[in-house]
Amino acid sequence: MTLLNSKICILGDFAVGKTSTVERFVNNHFSDKYLTTIGVKVDTKEIQLTEYVKLKLIIWDIAGTDRFGPVELAYLRGASGYILVADGTRAKTVAAALDLKSQAEERYGELPYVFLLNKSDLQHSWDVSDQRLDELSQSLTNVFVTSAKSGDKVDEAISTLGEMIADRESQ
Amino acid sequence: MSLPIEVADYLQTEFEYSRHPVCFLIDASFHLLEWWGDADLHGFTELQSGDNMLDRAPYLLGHTGTSREILPFVSPAAGQTIEVHVLPAGDNFHVIVMDASHEHDFHQKRQQNVNEVRLLHASQQKLISRQRSLIGELIEAKTELDHRRREAERNIADKNQFVAMMTHEFRTPLSSIINYADRALEKSTSTSELRKSAEAIARASRHLNSLVETVLDDARLEAGSLTLTDRTFEVRNLFDDLAAIMAPLAAEKGLSFAIYLSDQVPDNVSADDVCLRQILINLLGNAVKFTEIGGVRLDVDWSQQQFHIKVSDTGPGIDLPSRERIFKAFERGTNLGETAIPGTGLGLTLSLELVRLMRGQIELVSEPDAGCTFVIIIPATFVEHAPDEETVLPEPAEKFHAARPATILLCDDDEDLLTLAEYYLHRAGYGLLLARNGEEAVEKALAYNPDLVLMDINTPRLSGADAAAQLRKANFARPIVALTASDIRKLDRSVFSDSLRKPIQMPRLLAQIQSYIQ
Repeated sequence: MTLLNSKICILGDFAVGKTSTVERFVNNHFSDKYLTTIGVKVDTKEIQLTEYVKLKLIIWDIAGTDRFGPVELAYLRGASGYILVADGTRAKTVAAALDLKSQAEERYGELPYVFLLNKSDLQHSWDVSDQRLDELSQSLTNVFVTSAKSGDKVDEAISTLGEMIADRESQ
Repeated sequence: MSLPIEVADYLQTEFEYSRHPVCFLIDASFHLLEWWGDADLHGFTELQSGDNMLDRAPYLLGHTGTSREILPFVSPAAGQTIEVHVLPAGDNFHVIVMDASHEHDFHQKRQQNVNEVRLLHASQQKLISRQRSLIGELIEAKTELDHRRREAERNIADKNQFVAMMTHEFRTPLSSIINYADRALEKSTSTSELRKSAEAIARASRHLNSLVETVLDDARLEAGSLTLTDRTFEVRNLFDDLAAIMAPLAAEKGLSFAIYLSDQVPDNVSADDVCLRQILINLLGNAVKFTEIGGVRLDVDWSQQQFHIKVSDTGPGIDLPSRERIFKAFERGTNLGETAIPGTGLGLTLSLELVRLMRGQIELVSEPDAGCTFVIIIPATFVEHAPDEETVLPEPAEKFHAARPATILLCDDDEDLLTLAEYYLHRAGYGLLLARNGEEAVEKALAYNPDLVLMDINTPRLSGADAAAQLRKANFARPIVALTASDIRKLDRSVFSDSLRKPIQMPRLLAQIQSYIQ
């Protein structure tokens, strides 16, 4: 059995559901209470890639922001990939996630990523049009409409990132 | 300048007391070489040289000490929030871990408040935006409602104007009928005067019927239910009928009236003769109505499978704005009620619509005070042989004799119609059963099994439709023909064999009876 280690970061504006997404992925748990993250929370989870290969993801849940400062950029050092998260009920957070992606690429080059449009359980206050979603799907490689609350598509999205990282590192 | 040694010692003691720093020396493969400080306080229990530090501190992955790094507020899955410093040390590196929980908690509370206010602000903005959008929708809905209200008011006004106009139109022939009927009833009236009165009543009745047909056609056009029914007819009969209707009306006003048919006009054609007749009655009727001096003429020619017809008068003409209004509306197919020129009645605009329905063309040549001429082209198909059936207005004839002895049941609550039908049907040689309501009709039909039932639809006690349905349910198999002034499409085709629209013309009724009795 081969065990690979990879550091991934989860990025996005404040209150988009980054910590809830990690909590759902790692502990399969969700809390409605909003608790602001300061600095970075580090968690780990192993995923089975193949019969013989496991990947241990060291997940850095970085405090929400629409623009990285030097400290946040230091947190990204050594990451093998990242998860961009936006809140479907706040269209502005999509632009913030895309800005963070540009900043990360500028500093560390192109890395595997997935884009999560979160809070799909709140369709009644959804703020991102179908047309915008189509545009995102066409311009980005892996876009998932997720819900940390229900767990919808969360595992699928992060496992996809894990596979992308493993593929890249095996090349 | 350095701090005094006792101050430096004091600060070190205070720092170590509050932050509990631990220092690790780690090689490039993340193996622990040496450590200083109380590592247990940060969860590093039972440390041994050679331990893989990635297992003990996974957050070190990616931070290999190639340069100096400070990572404030790192919260591992278990344990307190720490501050991590990574310092190069030759081929190895130092990692300093110290407690940052107090500072973290302070920042967390402050940022939590800031973020909650920002979220609240975002929700408020969203609500304001939704409120604006709702107000916009309300304004739009109100505008639409106002528009519809104005439209409804305009429609009511149009309808009132229409009713007033039609009342006036109906009164003219009705007045003739009443006065001539009164005159006929006077004891002193001679036989020849009686005949003249009857002719006048017949003329006015036909005119009245034509007005009713116009109104009904308009309603059918608006409902989109008026369709063409082409059939073969004798062309000269049609124009003879028109002459019979229009010439007396023109004569009453002292106007000349003439119809000219060119030699090219065929004897028989196939087209919707009812529609063509309606167009020409309307145009000729208007021409007679608005002409005070001179006359009205109708010219009919034929070429390339088309009638070329001119309706000319010496009346006041139609001015250019009214003319344009009529024809623009005609091209657009606008509602007739909106385009009717005051005083011209419904007939003109209805004729334009009927020409359109027949895929024809119409043109108006007119100047004020110089009369007007409608030039109409109507497609029709030349037919070699004369039609077998009767023309549009069959003359009452003696030929409708019963082909064989037959009994007919007539159900109607109109005593005058019963009397008239009794006269004509007996004269034609039929046996007759009369019923004055639906129940009586059912009883007599089941008792005597007549050859044909003529059933009015609006009968007392039991409607004609229900009576017919009861008869069918009781296995009455003979034909039942509906007599109705209502929409015949509403009749149940599985119950009624056929229908005749009121007002009933006796020759048509007799022809229909004959076709069933044969």
